[in-house]
Amino acid sequence: MNAQISNPQTESLCPDCLQRIPAGYLRRDQDVYLAKTCPVHGTFETVIWRGPPDFDAWVRPKTPGAPVFAGQPMDHGCPFDCGLCPEHRQRTCTTVVEITTRCNLDCAFCYADSSGAGSDATVPEVDRLLAAVGRGAGQCNIQLSGGEPSLHPDLAAIVERVRRHGFTFVQLNTNGLLLGRQPDLARTLKDAGLDSVFLQFDGTDDAAYRRLRGRPLLAVKLAAVNACAAAGIGVVLVPTLVPGVNTHQVGAILDLAVDLAPAVRGVHFQPVSYFGRWTRPPADGDRLTLPELMRAIEAQTGGRFCATAFHPPGCEHARCSFSGQFLVLAPGRIIALSRRTTSSCCPPASAEAGARQAIAYTARQWAPAPQGQEAEPFAPAGGPICLETFCHRARTHTLSVSAMAFQDAWTLDLERLRGCCIHVAHPDGRLIPFCAYNLTGRDGRRLYRP
Amino acid sequence: MIQEGFASPEDLRWKCRRCRVHLELAPVTVTYLDQEFSADLPRCPVCGLVLISEDLALGKMAEVEQILEDK
Repeated sequence: MNAQISNPQTESLCPDCLQRIPAGYLRRDQDVYLAKTCPVHGTFETVIWRGPPDFDAWVRPKTPGAPVFAGQPMDHGCPFDCGLCPEHRQRTCTTVVEITTRCNLDCAFCYADSSGAGSDATVPEVDRLLAAVGRGAGQCNIQLSGGEPSLHPDLAAIVERVRRHGFTFVQLNTNGLLLGRQPDLARTLKDAGLDSVFLQFDGTDDAAYRRLRGRPLLAVKLAAVNACAAAGIGVVLVPTLVPGVNTHQVGAILDLAVDLAPAVRGVHFQPVSYFGRWTRPPADGDRLTLPELMRAIEAQTGGRFCATAFHPPGCEHARCSFSGQFLVLAPGRIIALSRRTTSSCCPPASAEAGARQAIAYTARQWAPAPQGQEAEPFAPAGGPICLETFCHRARTHTLSVSAMAFQDAWTLDLERLRGCCIHVAHPDGRLIPFCAYNLTGRDGRRLYRP
Repeated sequence: MIQEGFASPEDLRWKCRRCRVHLELAPVTVTYLDQEFSADLPRCPVCGLVLISEDLALGKMAEVEQILEDK
């Protein structure tokens, strides 16, 4: 075992007292840990990266960007001045707007800590919040969230308001229960201007739903996909991956996504993070790191989704995510449209340009496929692909595969946080980086979430 | 047959400067990201030189580039 600091020092928080403390990366063979010591609560060490592709090679250098409006004074230092502050290095790509704290599930893992009780934001309140988002974030994609946002009685009116404020892409982050049970809801939301549904989707059988959501939900999830397909709303499947629960289902979820294309436009994996109250720190075995997930995708799909297609993001910090784009030529015949490039070949790119590209790409890829253009699938055999047919097929059957590693009190790296492009609209109008908004100390104490 | 967007009748009026013969439509294989694509493009039947017209470069090829544009 070789132990050495492989990166410059960064800063993090103590999971116990949430005070800012120095942190550094520690390499043990191919695995990398974030190590930090609080003078009061001792040393914490958490796995961040396991195996190839190598931690040090997973970079995408950026010249720092800045928020559209950085109005929060720097009084206490990162991460205590979010709003955003002038130290932040990226503009907003997506703003999460939470419209209710109510939920119709009581999940084992929920960054919003929602359950049955709660309240809805009024339409005028959401209206004021959207105006604040427009001033603070400029043109960005909007994700309506909660709680379970489909429970809001004025959801369609809120979608319309998002459009009226000039935002060009609006997505609903939902568990899909109401979409699956109320046949007209998807059509109503489509008519109001909804582009996309970010659908909680943890597995292809009911075992994962029973463990993570408390009841069997596969049938209603599939009904939700069908309702969105019929209404012309793009669907992104969003599995929360928990070691020992559903990490073996990665390949099955992708195979199902292929079967459900073009209704399904992407799969966005979220390896579990630990928010809320924890009597003991999560063990390293409770975590799935991004490189492990890339390798699992390739292994569980028999190489149909190859790991070499995945690359670090041009918008958020490189170590926060990966993404790749694929084309479903036919069931069983999938080609990668993207490829990992080595860092040495690319000079630093503008973070601002990366954000603009991500905003446009997401809005295009996660929106519904063009209607009435579906090309015949290719023959499943190999050989050269007719370029004309390729272009036609690509209009409808591209599939994005991506993952985001949210940071919790144990894994937080303030360098990564300053590069965050996904911001939550605080009810008072401030924009808070997603992981800071949801971060909790070990005792459940929150930094920002009301 | 000329595939719209890939070649035009005007393209076939070109002659290969070296071989002094008219270009003909022929299946051409292009490779990108280890993937082989085929298209019928104007090609010199003697030396194999392929004509990529401005329309093709700014049309279909730009479309392919957009498809392959990632975030």
